[in-house]
Amino acid sequence: MADTDQAVEEEIDIAPTQKILDELPEKSRRYLIPALQKIQGVYRYLPAPAMELVMMDIGISKAQLYGVISFFPKFLIEEPGKYIINLCYGTACFVKGAEIIVDKIHECYKIKPGQTDESKLFTLQTASCLGNCGAAPMAIIGEDTHGTIDPEKSLELLGEYKL
Amino acid sequence: MSVTVRETINFTIDGKPASAPEGTIILEATQKYGFEVTNLCYNRKLKPFAACRTCMVEVRENGKKELVYSCTHPVSEGMEIIIHTEETDRYNSANIEMLLVEHPLDCPICDKSGVCPLQDNTELLELQKPRFEIQRRNEPSIKTNPLIEFYLNRCIVCGLCVRACDEIQGVQALEFHQRGMKSGIGTANDEPLDCEFCGQCITVCPTGALMDMSSSARGLAALFTNTNTTCSYCSWGCTVQLETKKGNLVRITGDETPDVGINEGNLCAKGRFGHGIVHNGERIQSPLINQGGDFKEIGWDEAIEMIAQRAKTTINRSGAQSVAGLASEKLTNEENYLFQKLFRKNYGSNQINNLQNLQAPYVNDFMLNCFENGIESKPVTELDKADVVLIFNSDLPSEYPVGGNSVRKGAIFTGTRVIFANPRDMRFDHEGRIDIRLVYHQDADFMLANRLCRILIDENLVDTAKVQEQIPNFNDFVAALAPYTADATKKATGLTNEQLKRTASQLAEKADRAILIGNDVLDTGKGQETLNALLNLSILLHTGGEGSVSIYPPREHCNSQGVNDMGATPQYLPGFRPVSDTATLNTLTELWDAESLKLEQENLADNLFENCINGKIKFLHIAGEDPVTSYKSRATVEQAFETVPFLVVQDIYMSETARKADLVLPTATFAEKEGTVTNMTRHVQKVVPAIPVQGKSKSDLEIFHNLAQAFGAPFKSKSALDVQEEIRQAVPAYKDVLPATYDQWKPTGVTAKPAFQICSYQELKASKREFSMKLLTNNHMFHIGSYTHYSKALVDIGPDCYAEINPKDAKKSSLENGDTLLVESSQANLKVQMKINPAIPAGMVYIPKNWPEVPVNALRNGEDGTVHVKISKAE
Repeated sequence: MADTDQAVEEEIDIAPTQKILDELPEKSRRYLIPALQKIQGVYRYLPAPAMELVMMDIGISKAQLYGVISFFPKFLIEEPGKYIINLCYGTACFVKGAEIIVDKIHECYKIKPGQTDESKLFTLQTASCLGNCGAAPMAIIGEDTHGTIDPEKSLELLGEYKL
Repeated sequence: MSVTVRETINFTIDGKPASAPEGTIILEATQKYGFEVTNLCYNRKLKPFAACRTCMVEVRENGKKELVYSCTHPVSEGMEIIIHTEETDRYNSANIEMLLVEHPLDCPICDKSGVCPLQDNTELLELQKPRFEIQRRNEPSIKTNPLIEFYLNRCIVCGLCVRACDEIQGVQALEFHQRGMKSGIGTANDEPLDCEFCGQCITVCPTGALMDMSSSARGLAALFTNTNTTCSYCSWGCTVQLETKKGNLVRITGDETPDVGINEGNLCAKGRFGHGIVHNGERIQSPLINQGGDFKEIGWDEAIEMIAQRAKTTINRSGAQSVAGLASEKLTNEENYLFQKLFRKNYGSNQINNLQNLQAPYVNDFMLNCFENGIESKPVTELDKADVVLIFNSDLPSEYPVGGNSVRKGAIFTGTRVIFANPRDMRFDHEGRIDIRLVYHQDADFMLANRLCRILIDENLVDTAKVQEQIPNFNDFVAALAPYTADATKKATGLTNEQLKRTASQLAEKADRAILIGNDVLDTGKGQETLNALLNLSILLHTGGEGSVSIYPPREHCNSQGVNDMGATPQYLPGFRPVSDTATLNTLTELWDAESLKLEQENLADNLFENCINGKIKFLHIAGEDPVTSYKSRATVEQAFETVPFLVVQDIYMSETARKADLVLPTATFAEKEGTVTNMTRHVQKVVPAIPVQGKSKSDLEIFHNLAQAFGAPFKSKSALDVQEEIRQAVPAYKDVLPATYDQWKPTGVTAKPAFQICSYQELKASKREFSMKLLTNNHMFHIGSYTHYSKALVDIGPDCYAEINPKDAKKSSLENGDTLLVESSQANLKVQMKINPAIPAGMVYIPKNWPEVPVNALRNGEDGTVHVKISKAE
């Protein structure tokens, strides 16, 4: 943790975080979640130095802040890969082979749900239901929606995405 | 809270009539009447939370039936409460059964077995036969911090620890993480716990998910012997529960039983984890005689005989006033009483003192002045009902941590407004946050307090006509306040007049007010002026305002108050009667079976160490104190010990002082002795032995009895209880509080003498150019006195001494975190590791005073007041 903190500290510009916090109607816990959403909008995740600023400005402890962050899988505390794979794990997709897709991805990219591969190309996340059961199994990769994926051919699909 | 009176509500519980104040929740009301309602997440010190859903009861109002959770639902007029109906039991049982599915049920090796609410409720609802398949969790326990083990398999996610950490301690180191099935308690990203280590989370945890690693005891806590006694560290006076097993102290816990102690089961790191001082191989094992620097063991009889003989010869040769004693802020009332009796009656010497009275005799005067002005101050158990609390120059979480707990409780349940005045920008987090924070310049305490007085008068915030009528020297007081103008105060304190006006108005409102003063004011060199200014402020509010004022003198150690009450001072006999008071002398002569008491002698004890140096004192007996490290001027003490012909020290550990002694006697810790101690708010509380006196040590009480006997005039008393009986007669205020419960002693026989204590205006001294920084030193959060360094647990969480400075000063001298700092005063210098802390104002160096290897008291340059220093990076 300490190592990544330092590595991150060198490259992060916290000015946008300060601006987001300064523009809150009130520096209180009531505006914590919108603030975190905006901060993640800037950095694609919630960098530790920015969170230090949030703790000081909003006046909450580290445990409380990360308690909120860990409640929402959408909030990331580590920089995600270039593309976030949002794989549907709802009942229909599960039956139609979402599990096989996860295994394939693990074989090739050595990542499990919640992890990012070494080259920082993909971050794998699972969703409870993406609301498109007719096209099961389905996934959203980056901005693209893919339906009726053939689990056996899922790696070909991913292969189209490059750093 | 006096300001709003809560109405009494009448209702019935299982058909029996009951009543409670408006707003009382059902669970609390039923408990008060002895009914048992199942619950797992309720604690009366915390806000209702309703996490466990196991406390459902049936209520009927106006014929309408409703099922409610008793931990959140208040009682109302005419309500019928029915507990344990078939229906509520079914709901409550279901929830507990769900918890039992996951729970490890490892009761034989669980700390809470026998004192476990989960067990109790399981039994109460007869859930011995599980309906569901057991699916135990099996996560490894987390031991990433030195003191608190997390074994989360037992966690039932009741949230008590999270809420205690937030609401009681204001630290918020624990929180719920994740959600749904995965949710659990913990620190941010599972980092090692880094907090105040108060351990309140261990006390409130109902299932043994959080455990005290400072103790090797695991399992079956119900079979330990519990002894409630009073903590021996700071002067707040918390009741601690000592758990013993086969004659060994295994653990200290808080006792949350209602009406036990003044602390409601709250403890701090020192009180809970500081038990390592009791069973410790480094304790002095036997009486020791100093033979040219080598300490040789000798027998008790020989040692006692030697002291008595030496006292006799010294008295014969040089007069009674040449033998002197230093009583202790850490010994019990009974011991201190006997010690001064030994000197006054047996030795015929009035040369007895204690370290607080030696360094700040005006603290006792301040307390007596409060009484003369009719300010008695409420028991500290009422602190959580105060409307306004002024925390004056005290870093509460370090100095009186459990005091902070009461203030936070007040903020939650009473809406207490907190005014926090401190030269350092210290943390004090609580529910309502701090209402007014006054960060003022170091040493300007008296300016701040006097300016508040002037604003109260100038702005007519109090009834000045009434004050003028009742306090004779009001006009002189007003005249003396003239120099405390807004500008002068701004210059000296850095505070704007608006801030102070807001503070004064808050204090002036009709309210129950409490003022907590930190020991730091005594080191400013203006301690007396500051205490007097706060006294005057209290007189104005007490006489000219509505409501009440409670103000407590700063006291450092567990019995700093009691040692003075017992008359271990050269100016006062027991009970604060002047040493020249004939009536008291007659009473004592009779009580002590003395021929006569001739105590009118030169007062050498007021300058105890100086009079050792100049040869007037030839025999010094120190009981349980270590002035080498704790007296303000180390060089003076060291020189005194070089000169004084005979020095006897009795203590638990070989302190720096004991190393200089001719004779050393091993004594007992608080866990081994009987008696009472009096806390800073005058509550007289029991010290109860939990284990026998260890090894060859003797209790201080026994030593004094033996000495009196060896001197040829044995005391009639034999035990602590005999001495208590004598104290009841010698100290009128103690008549009603002994044998001790938890009550506060009330002043008796005080002649009302309303008067402001007027001090002349003094300019703040500017720093000398060479030594441009000011030193602040006090007790570290995890250490106090000279024993805590023998407690492994406290050393584990507070291992190293760090000086702290402001980032600006660090930049100026090119210093970085972890550098070694050279701190120089005109008198001495020392080296210490440093860290940068923005809470420290520019121009201040903060160094805790508890590390023997960092002798901060050596820096004092002989004069009173703040020590001026310069800093640089050590080579």
